[in-house]
Formats: sequence, C-alpha cells, structure tokens
Amino acid sequence: MFCLSIIKDKIPIHPQHFSISPEQTITAELNKKYSNRVLHDVGLCICVFDLSEVGEGKVRYGDGFLWYEVTFRMVVFRPFESEVVIARVKSSDEDGIRLTMDFFDDIYIPSIYLPQPSAFDPNERAHFWLPNSPLASTTELLDSPTSERMYIDQGEVMRVRVEQDEFVDDEPGPAKVVEGVVQEKTRGRAPYTVVCSIAEQGLGPVAWWNGAQVVEEGDEGEAMEEG
Amino acid sequence: MEVVNPRSALLSNYEVLTLLRELEADHLTRSKAMQRIKKEEEANGTLVPGHNTTVVETSENLRTVEVEAIQYLGADYLPTSGQTAEGITKMVKALEPYELTKAEKLQIVNLAPTTPVELYVIVEELEDRLGDRMDELTERIQEIQGAPAPVPQVNGIEEPKAEEGVTSWSNPAAEGFGEDEDAAYDEEMFDDAGEGAGVEGDLDVEDD
Repeated sequence: MFCLSIIKDKIPIHPQHFSISPEQTITAELNKKYSNRVLHDVGLCICVFDLSEVGEGKVRYGDGFLWYEVTFRMVVFRPFESEVVIARVKSSDEDGIRLTMDFFDDIYIPSIYLPQPSAFDPNERAHFWLPNSPLASTTELLDSPTSERMYIDQGEVMRVRVEQDEFVDDEPGPAKVVEGVVQEKTRGRAPYTVVCSIAEQGLGPVAWWNGAQVVEEGDEGEAMEEG
Repeated sequence: MEVVNPRSALLSNYEVLTLLRELEADHLTRSKAMQRIKKEEEANGTLVPGHNTTVVETSENLRTVEVEAIQYLGADYLPTSGQTAEGITKMVKALEPYELTKAEKLQIVNLAPTTPVELYVIVEELEDRLGDRMDELTERIQEIQGAPAPVPQVNGIEEPKAEEGVTSWSNPAAEGFGEDEDAAYDEEMFDDAGEGAGVEGDLDVEDD
C-alpha cells in the first residue's frame, strides 16, 4: 500500500530559520511542499521518510534564502495492482460505490466490478448482491424479497482488490468570468483515483466472509469472529 | 523537482504507522515547547508576534494526513495497531518456506489473514501452490499475530510477547509512546543491512 519514492528537489530556507539545524528545517519545508499532495504518476505523498543527500546551502542573487539541493525518500501511498486492501464505504450511487481510507477517499468500485447479480436499491441508497440467484435484469432483482439481499451499507468495512489507478493532471485554466464577476473555481476531477473490484470470492464486506467462516468451521471460527 | 525512483522499496503498514506516531509525538513536544516559549516571552514583554526562530512549525497538510492516516492504520479492522517489530520479523521468517512472492508476503503482514478465505484472496492459485500446507500457514500467522485466537495456545515463547504488544498498543494513553516503541522503531527503520529485520529490506531483493 505504501512505498518509498526517491525524489530530488531544490528547497529554499528562509533566513528566520537559520538558527535551527538545517536537517529539521529542510524536512519541515519538504513536508510543507509535498505532504497530502498527489505527485503525478507517483502517488499520494504522506511524509518525508529521511534525507539521503543534502548539498551545500547556496545564496542566490535576489533573495536571502539558502537553497539546498536535497535528495530524499518520501513515504507515498500507492497500492499496486491486484493488491488487497481494506477500506470503508463512503457512499453509493447508481454507478458504483465510493470507498474511503480516512486519509484518501478517491477509491471507487464501478458497478461492473460488483459481484453478479447485483443491483442498486434507490430506497436504501445501497447496492445489494443476490448470491446464487438466476435473476439478471435490474427490475427482476429489485422485485426479490428483501431478506435474501446482501446489502453493502454505508460505513461497512470492505476487502477490495485494486484493479487500476489513474492520474489526471488538469490545467487550472483561466478564471471564469460571468457578467464581470469572477466565478469561484469548481473542484475538477480528482488527481488520483483508484479503481477496485469486489467481484471475487472472499472480497466485499469483511462481515460476509467472517459469517461464512462460522458456518464452515463451526465453533472454531465463531469465538474469533464475535470478538 | 525530479523523481529519481517512484518505487524504490515497499513499506508495510506497521512501518508507516510507527513513523507517523513518532512524528505525532514529535509534533506534540514541539508545540508544547512553542507554547512555553511564547508564555515566557509574554511574561518578559519581549513577544514579537508572528516571529518564531527556535521551533519549526508543522505544516497543516502534514498534520491532516498524519492524523487521518493514523486513524485508518490504527483502526480495529486492521491488525496493524497490534503488531510489533519482532512479530513482523518472526512472521516474515515463518513465511519463508512457503515460497510466496514479496507482494504476497507484504499483504500477509499488512492484513494478517487468519482464515483460508482471506488467504485465498491474497495468494494466487493458493490450492495448487500450498495444498495441505494452507491450514498450517493460517495457524502460524494467527499464532504470531497474537490476534484473538479461537483457542488460546500457550505452547511458545512468542505468544505472551505478542499479547504484551497488543495490550500496550491498545492503551492510547500518553504512556503509549514508551521507550519500547522507540527501540522497535530504530531497529526496523534504520537497520537496512538486516534483510530479515524489516519487510522493506526484504522486499528490495529482485523477485523472480
């Protein structure tokens, strides 16, 4: 889920920080610049892991900053393809399910990656799965008795497999002006999204499979699952 | 900015959680120091607003991601908060005879699967590759993880140790960041030479 990326950068240090050790200030500056930001094709930066190489601080013409050339290692969130991760359901709609990991919530399960046959129940605002059902069309599925449906509710803990991830780098573009008033920028597409699947045995809400375990192994699994 | 290597090594959830908790503790001591200095300056009448030379401020972004990631990794649906560096070392060693790939080992360490269903998802072609050793593997993982095992097995030295780790972690009091923790961190993070010591080092090796 997490990995280390080696990055090289030039970092300016303000003169007011000269009294503190450069290691501390450089790390702080790097964290300020990278933390909680998405690097294109790298992933979501969490924090600096360590500094591997720091050059001599140089003063350039024009400002009093000390510029350091730094090579450092960054802790980056980037689950690899086919990795199994745990996340909670944030919301559901007709197109699929959105998951959250608290610090990252652009994780989606499109409806094609849901276990079949499944459908979206607009009353409950949740997808459900009808295991071992011959029904196929959405209308038929929505007519099924509610007791047989296995709902994927909001907040449920899910085990999912990462299928692919996508980075988009949208240009900010010029500010939109309508009748002389500058419009507030709407949030564009998320810079980094992860697409996951639960269309496989053992994936989906963790509770589904814990339940199955109890049936399979009897009392052995039960004590654990209930705890 | 230049990205030299986007993925030089893989990190286990435990390593990230330890690092973040350390940063958090660091931040707390620093903000306390900052407040103390402020008070002193106020008392002396030498306070210069917006001017601080002795303490580095933690950026807002780092705080956000730090708190949220700790919340996720420390959640009770992940085994991470109950893990110890020794436990993980032991786990990686125990996984050796099963000829798993690095990625599979990492996921086993991160998720600590205790049921065959969970293992089935992580390991490809589980039945063909492991056969009857599957149950043995889940048992060993359970044993090392020290998760609430169905039957308390007191047949090894590692069992009480793991339990100890669990209790010390589940207590989020100020004492939680004892010397114990720091020692574990040192071993895990900086001992790059010890291949078996951390998952990170272990994963550096080329996979075939």
